[in-house]
Amino acid sequence: MSAAPALLEMRQITKEFPGVKALSDVSLTVRRGEVHAICGENGAGKSTLMKVLSGVYPHGTYDGDIVFEGEIVQFKDIRASERAGIVIIHQELALIPELSIAENIFLGNERARGGRIDWVGTNRRAIELLRHVGLREDPETPIKTIGVGKQQLVEIAKALNKDVKLLILDEPTAALNEEDSAHLLDLIEGLRERGITSIIISHKLNEIERIADSVTIIRDGRSIETLDVAAGGVDEDRIIKGMVGRSLESRFPEHTPRLGETFFEVQDWTVEHPQVAGRLVCKGSSFHVRRGEIVGFAGLMGAGRTELMRSIFGRSYGTLLGGRMILDGREVTLKNVSQAIDAGIGYVTEDRKVLGLNLLDDIKTTTTAARLKKIAKHLVVDRNAEFAAADGYRRSLRTKTPSVEEGVAKLSGGNQQKVVLAKWLFAEPELLILDEPTRGIDVGAKYEIYGIIQQLADAGKGVIVVSSELPELLGLSDRIYTICEGRITGELAKHEATQENLMRLMTTTGSAAGRAATPAAGSTGATAAR
Amino acid sequence: MRRITTIAVAVTAASALALAGCGRADEGAANTGSGGGSTAGSTGGGTAGFPADSLIGVSLPQKTSENWVLAENLFKTDLAGAGFKTDVQFANNGVAEQQNIVQSMVTKGAKVIVIGPIDPAQLGTQLQAAKDAGATVISYDRLLSNSPNVDYFAAYDNVKVGELQGQALLDGLKAKKPNGPYNIEIFAGAPIDGNATSFYDGAMKVLKPKIDDGTLKVVSGQTGFKQAATADWKGENAQKRMDTLLAGSYTNAQLDGVLSPNDTIARAILTSVKQAGKPIPVVTGQDSEVESVKSIVAGEQYSTINKDTRKLVKATVQMVKDLQAGKQPQVTDTSSYNNGTKVVPALLLPPMIVTKANVKEAYADDPTLSKLTNG
Amino acid sequence: MKHLKAVFGNDTRQFGMIFALIALIVFFQVRTNGLLLTPTNVINLFQGNSYILVLAIGMVLVIIAGHIDLSVGSVAAAVGISVAIAMRDWSLPWGLAILFGLLIGAIIGAWQGFWVAYVGIPAFIVTLAGMLIFRGLNQKIGDSDSIPVPNGYQVIGRGYLPEFGPLTGYNNLTLIIGLALIAAIVTGALRTRRNQRKIGADMAPMWTVVVRLLLICGAILAVTLLFASGRRGTSFPVSGLILGVLVLIYSFVSSRTVIGRHVYAVGGNKHAAELSGVKSKQINFLVMMNMSILAALAGMMFVARSTASGPSDGVNWELDAIAAVFIGGAAVSGGVGTVVGSIVGGLVMAVLNNGMQLLSVGADDTSIIKGLVLLLAVAFDVYNKSQGRPSLIGRLTSGRRDRPAVEQPAPADPARNISETVHTEA
Repeated sequence: MSAAPALLEMRQITKEFPGVKALSDVSLTVRRGEVHAICGENGAGKSTLMKVLSGVYPHGTYDGDIVFEGEIVQFKDIRASERAGIVIIHQELALIPELSIAENIFLGNERARGGRIDWVGTNRRAIELLRHVGLREDPETPIKTIGVGKQQLVEIAKALNKDVKLLILDEPTAALNEEDSAHLLDLIEGLRERGITSIIISHKLNEIERIADSVTIIRDGRSIETLDVAAGGVDEDRIIKGMVGRSLESRFPEHTPRLGETFFEVQDWTVEHPQVAGRLVCKGSSFHVRRGEIVGFAGLMGAGRTELMRSIFGRSYGTLLGGRMILDGREVTLKNVSQAIDAGIGYVTEDRKVLGLNLLDDIKTTTTAARLKKIAKHLVVDRNAEFAAADGYRRSLRTKTPSVEEGVAKLSGGNQQKVVLAKWLFAEPELLILDEPTRGIDVGAKYEIYGIIQQLADAGKGVIVVSSELPELLGLSDRIYTICEGRITGELAKHEATQENLMRLMTTTGSAAGRAATPAAGSTGATAAR
Repeated sequence: MRRITTIAVAVTAASALALAGCGRADEGAANTGSGGGSTAGSTGGGTAGFPADSLIGVSLPQKTSENWVLAENLFKTDLAGAGFKTDVQFANNGVAEQQNIVQSMVTKGAKVIVIGPIDPAQLGTQLQAAKDAGATVISYDRLLSNSPNVDYFAAYDNVKVGELQGQALLDGLKAKKPNGPYNIEIFAGAPIDGNATSFYDGAMKVLKPKIDDGTLKVVSGQTGFKQAATADWKGENAQKRMDTLLAGSYTNAQLDGVLSPNDTIARAILTSVKQAGKPIPVVTGQDSEVESVKSIVAGEQYSTINKDTRKLVKATVQMVKDLQAGKQPQVTDTSSYNNGTKVVPALLLPPMIVTKANVKEAYADDPTLSKLTNG
Repeated sequence: MKHLKAVFGNDTRQFGMIFALIALIVFFQVRTNGLLLTPTNVINLFQGNSYILVLAIGMVLVIIAGHIDLSVGSVAAAVGISVAIAMRDWSLPWGLAILFGLLIGAIIGAWQGFWVAYVGIPAFIVTLAGMLIFRGLNQKIGDSDSIPVPNGYQVIGRGYLPEFGPLTGYNNLTLIIGLALIAAIVTGALRTRRNQRKIGADMAPMWTVVVRLLLICGAILAVTLLFASGRRGTSFPVSGLILGVLVLIYSFVSSRTVIGRHVYAVGGNKHAAELSGVKSKQINFLVMMNMSILAALAGMMFVARSTASGPSDGVNWELDAIAAVFIGGAAVSGGVGTVVGSIVGGLVMAVLNNGMQLLSVGADDTSIIKGLVLLLAVAFDVYNKSQGRPSLIGRLTSGRRDRPAVEQPAPADPARNISETVHTEA
């Protein structure tokens, strides 16, 4: 494999933004027919490198050369790189929800004769492309009705239609459940067999270990090393070592829980879907949290984890049909989010950019947003106190930013998540719910965030962690609940839980046992979660 | 804090540069007003006269009819011909803009300001400022109200216009069909324009008795001013109303005549009738607009009124000249034009009815229209 | 140039709009042979535009919250005619009439706010309906006629501060207001400096602070004298004073209070705001209601200046107010904008209008030029944003960059430190 000639060579790429050197002398060699992974912490420069490659940053705005198929190329925009056969699929999918699968595949590239779209040809070709990516759907199905996993496949089909030579996938599995992820990885392997070279950017090291032929590690805007995975001997720890510049003995900080009494309890919690009357997203769920305890919630996407948590958090999702909530021995009714915050509940949302952050805000205002009255006198914000509080969290959480006056939009994912955590630490919750707290975050930042979560528990607070990554739950939680189809299906203490028994409980729902394990249920579930 | 300072520095640094300011010396024209209240009584002043090259401001309403455009040109040339500096401006964006325009004329030190108001009641503050600055105000075509600071009024006799329109409608109907009853409809002008009321009142003075005795029949029943009014004098509004009337009241009945307050509305009515495929009724008008004169010559529109803008502008410019020379301008009526606070001395010119019969001699002196009537 | 930067701060670009305004003023001052900056004209400029600027204050909040209000002109007209009738037919004293007008504004605002916030109909639709409804109400109530208003009431549109005290050759009250403003700015600057020292931020060299203060105070003094030196009986106009007080209140509320924060939060990301405990419905309701109250005030000020309420009052005002807000750096998508920026935007339009009228430029050309200015100002801002620079106009007055960050060495172990933070905060 390593004998194959280079398809792409990026030589000494340097890219500067005002005041920041995002890339310095980065070199990358991708051989024809391989799957090449790029790893690095968030903010290391992976996305910038790909934007240079795909012409988002046109020739002339960076230094260094790009050699593609043996020739120096100078792309002036994305269309130019696409013409050369380089297609990038971004983390945020570029599909139009109201249009059909076929229309999306041929968007901007319509099959038409004299301005009239040739629908027969379009659909025939779409079916062919869909078969290549293993998607059995009617090409006239609207995009919005299929799950994210399938949408990802449509994106790839769209790329295939463009006669792709080099396919770049930016975090392709970040939003997918295990099923869809596995399917996608299979597909990438299939494309390799058909001679299509891929670059995959991912934080999921196990995936890289599984499909990548080689991996290039980028750290702080420099290319550190390229490892030959296919030759063997490269495992997750080896990659992590390259990414963080040191070996992590453990991916989780040492922690001995100090458990106190049960202070939060939910009984028979039943929630109806906000739009679809009669559809229950939580079915009589009961659970409890002790002080100092980290409680994990495992479930497939669409199982109702987020819905349950948001419903608890001031009924911010769905219609509450029944159930009791007991906080510190008293039954409480929290009708809205501000009541929930006042009662001492915090909720870190799963989708940072859509639900968690106002990207127009700076770090300072974000930090205080959930409990502004703490630094306000008679509704007037004390800006000195605000600065001091935000700066305190910047230092204690080691947020990488020159100042808390910077906008949150400029931060990398990990640092954004730290700001979100700062916001909820500032609100001083007794119970903090974290929904996918490390999604899209690199290993180094994950470690730090785990540390923060554990410290919070040690301070006597209760913590709930919802996560799709079972190793994360296993490493972090003192106790784990599993959810399937809106029902709590199991409760395991740390020492009892394994990936296998969790997965079994996550896909079992009494009478409907096993149904959720089918791919179809998985992806429709994912749609329902949206 | 820095924000306020930022703004303050900037805005005011410039002002500081330019500020001649020392005490209340730069009052310029304002030397007549020794205090806020001493304004009454000095109306009709101008006995002192002023330099012959002074600035004369002319503030006209929206550019909605040919006549205003003609007036603009005439004022510019006639005033400049008399040696004055001129500033003639339209206020296409409405009352607020006209307020600012009049105000800026005062600032520029205009000695006489001729105003054809959009809303005659809403210029009180600016008229006060003009008075304080010693400027003379001539109300042109429409009478400024709600202010004592109006010195003269120059216009055509609008009640007379209405009477002529009413009479023309009757004559036209009779010429078409010797005996009634006749089916007619009534259109009036913009509800905020005092002149529109005058036209309507004048016309109804003639028509009302005939409606009462059954000679005339308003099929739609819409005879009140508010019902007949046309917002903003706009042709499109009149056309919409006519469309509605034709569809509602004249599917079977024959429309014999329409009272229209001016030419723009008259043509809109004719357009509507033609589109509906109905025979052309007797339609009155006013203003002698080019298109309407053509229409009269062609036998479509029945009549218009010749309120020659040239004559009115000429008379107004003569007033300005008299004021400049320190003479009392000539007026024809010192009793009937009360604007709500005072009786304004008025110079009224007589209007003239024009039909196909007299169209040639009516416009004999008019360089543009005479071509149409001769051709 | 270096010294200029030292005085104005390190980011000269953020002064763009203000420099544009100054350039306009200088240009017209020269072209009109000094007519622009005469006491009479500056007073007129304020009197003739304060009602639009009052609308811009409300409009910027509406736009920050992610909405638009097309009904302001009609609301202003409906309130204006109601107040005029109340004074004429019910002999309501003018002071009460103003309160009555504000009350009508509040009721109209509650009506529109209800549909926007609680029923969830887009503000564009609700206020488009409002535009028709309240225009019709104005014409129905006033019978499409102009209704004069009494002299006492006219003070809020065309009044001046009283003359009192010794004969200084100036309006004494205007002088006092100017001096008070200078005093406030100097003490404010000193307090900022003290705070900077306290939290250990980088401080500008003393001389730049002094030069800046001298410039500002000199400028304020100049403007004060300009207003105070008009014909006896005139002064800084009452309508300008109303506007000034509103600007101070609303910029404080928008930038320094919890409610202001929440308006920005709802406009920036409604979902995130709701999940942070912001009651977005309440905020939307308040913002729409506030707009109608300010529209009522603007309408009443205009009627006072016009000495009568008419059926075409308020036509196209919404467009003037919206233009001012966007020239002032607000974003169509919400979440961005400042009160002071919008006032500057409004003043740019006002000076442009006034200057061209003084130059006898026709209404048609004026309209074309104003349209181009609006387009270019916003295009310039968008271009700046696309270049990754901070929005020029938005940054202009954002005041969120008061202090440079205090860079301190990061502690070795984040975990140790967070526990400290958690404990101290708890």
